[in-house]
Amino acid sequence: MNDIIERARDIITGYDGPKVRIMEVCGTHTHEIFRLGIRSLLPENIDLISGPGCPVCVTPVGFIDEAIYLATEKNCLITTFGDLIKVPGTEMNLAKARANGAKIRPVYSPDDAVEIARENPSEEVVFLSVGFETTTPSSCLAVKKAKDLGLKNFSILTANKSMPNAYLKLKGSADAFIYPGHVNAITGNAFCRQLKDLGVSGVVAGFTATELMTALAVTIEMLKKGEPFFVNCYPRVVKDEGSIQAQKLMDEVMELCDTQWRGLGTIEKSGMKLKSEFSDFDSRIKYNIPHIEGKPNPGCRCGEVLQGHCKPSDCPLFGKICTPLHAVGACMVSDEGACSAYYQYNSSINN
Amino acid sequence: MENVITLAHGSGSIQTSELIDKIFKSNFDNPYLTADDAAVLPNDTGKTAMSTDGFIVSPYEFPGGNIGKLAVCGSVNDIACMGAKPKFMTCSYIIEEGFPVEELEKIAKSMGDTARKAGIQIVAGDTKVAGKGQVDKIFITTTAIGDIVEGVNTSGAFAKPGDKIIVTGDVGRHGCTILLARNEFNIDADITSDCAPLWSNIEAVFNETKDIHVIRDATRGGVGTVLYEIAHQSNVGISLDSDKIPVDPGVRGVCAMLGLEPLYLACEGRLVFFVPAEVADKVVDALRKCENSEKAAIIGEVTDENKGKVILNTAVGARTILSRPSGELLPRIC
Repeated sequence: MNDIIERARDIITGYDGPKVRIMEVCGTHTHEIFRLGIRSLLPENIDLISGPGCPVCVTPVGFIDEAIYLATEKNCLITTFGDLIKVPGTEMNLAKARANGAKIRPVYSPDDAVEIARENPSEEVVFLSVGFETTTPSSCLAVKKAKDLGLKNFSILTANKSMPNAYLKLKGSADAFIYPGHVNAITGNAFCRQLKDLGVSGVVAGFTATELMTALAVTIEMLKKGEPFFVNCYPRVVKDEGSIQAQKLMDEVMELCDTQWRGLGTIEKSGMKLKSEFSDFDSRIKYNIPHIEGKPNPGCRCGEVLQGHCKPSDCPLFGKICTPLHAVGACMVSDEGACSAYYQYNSSINN
Repeated sequence: MENVITLAHGSGSIQTSELIDKIFKSNFDNPYLTADDAAVLPNDTGKTAMSTDGFIVSPYEFPGGNIGKLAVCGSVNDIACMGAKPKFMTCSYIIEEGFPVEELEKIAKSMGDTARKAGIQIVAGDTKVAGKGQVDKIFITTTAIGDIVEGVNTSGAFAKPGDKIIVTGDVGRHGCTILLARNEFNIDADITSDCAPLWSNIEAVFNETKDIHVIRDATRGGVGTVLYEIAHQSNVGISLDSDKIPVDPGVRGVCAMLGLEPLYLACEGRLVFFVPAEVADKVVDALRKCENSEKAAIIGEVTDENKGKVILNTAVGARTILSRPSGELLPRIC
């Protein structure tokens, strides 16, 4: 253990004030916190909640249904990040659709999807565009590239999310947020300062053991003071202005829209969709997709888990019929999901 | 000789003997490798270890080795882990029609070189040519046999509470190398496979002590999978110190980017030893003097509690369970 971690650890384990709730809103943070065993160090009066920070987890059931509609009714070739393949839709997931003959292909980046469209002119290629500000710019770039290439067989089905307004919706769920370092690296910190003025506190954190422990210790120290706060604890990567280039790109290609989050319902101006100049590349417009209302499994409590209202182990399906190999809820599908992390790491240890 | 493999090379015709003479016999040359139907080998007393392994790695050439080197190391290391000095090997090639002869020569040469280095003789082999598209370029299967050193008795079931766990070098290099060699991620990193034959390393340890409980080579599934296997086979717990596990900075960086755990990435030149605590330092010293195990380190110990589990002592001073990956991380790694 290095000195910084040791000092941070002393602050965290020594906290004896009133109960505080801290929410991390980044799937990678959730995963690292479990991997490092940080939760096991926390005293009872610090509650660390895993919020809606994994793009796969917050993607609503209806989005999967739309993708399956495109694959089966419109015979499209669906390209997607691998994580999404096992996320349950109303009737089935994409893996099942693929077993039934649908064309589903995992890709590592939206650019790969454009290449597939270019190499297969007879296929109608759709990319499932999910993610926060960290991945949205690459979707924008893919659309611009497809436009420059004059591709007529490429479009994206957007479910991109934008964090700032989601924090307002989650305001009551936590006393402070651990902001996702990589989102802030793109957006900059202006919105965090605005949130502070609205009474929402938080710190930006990096991803190493030292960075995460520091961010938590700073949060505890600031909470003790009782005033709304914002601290950038990841200055080696996050600059106040963010990435101007990525912001310009997103501004050029996409605009904010109201969007549905799994478990949280519709949040105003918390999604991103293609601007009208790029509507030829918008799968919903191109294929005139009817409104599909997804129906999640009624027993699944992912929504409450994402808001920190319950722990994964409080869900009646958790670990019984919902496991990483047979996931019912989205939070169990992705490695970054809170339920998956609980399942993998929460087996008891004798110390 | 033609410059690509054709179906005629696998037909048993004159082209077949030409291929065998020019490519295989010249590279594998030894007194037991004859043109007869089988190799005739001297008989020894004592115990013999034997193992067979198929190799379908893609791409077949990668930084730090190729499928030929890998095919020797895989089988040699398997029998070496049972305490056997590698002696004889057979190999079976399945080659796709159209495969360049120049490439085959490279593979056979590296196979011959590695076999000599490992002290094993390739005494019999077989070549089949499959039609275009029926196999992907080249597949090799090897079988190795060797005599077990007297006084050595290792097994995955022999780990005991109190044993120290030693790994012979940094983990996850082979898996990471193959991942990057496929160019699917557009990541440039200076990482080479750890692929190496390891009998001399094991022999060096035996020269110090034969009181060794378990030796395993960490291939598919990496060191993490080996540790879980031993925890189950021996019905013990395993406690690891995460900051003692050697990981190349390049591998660590790639893993951070892609969300992978180095402990679960394949190695092809790394051994895991379980040894009584009192001989642990001696074993580490012996290993550090050998090529390919200069960075040997004690990474943890066997415990009576937490049976069947691998526990990590993390960088923040907490204890967590090492999570197990579900499904295949990476196909065709070896």
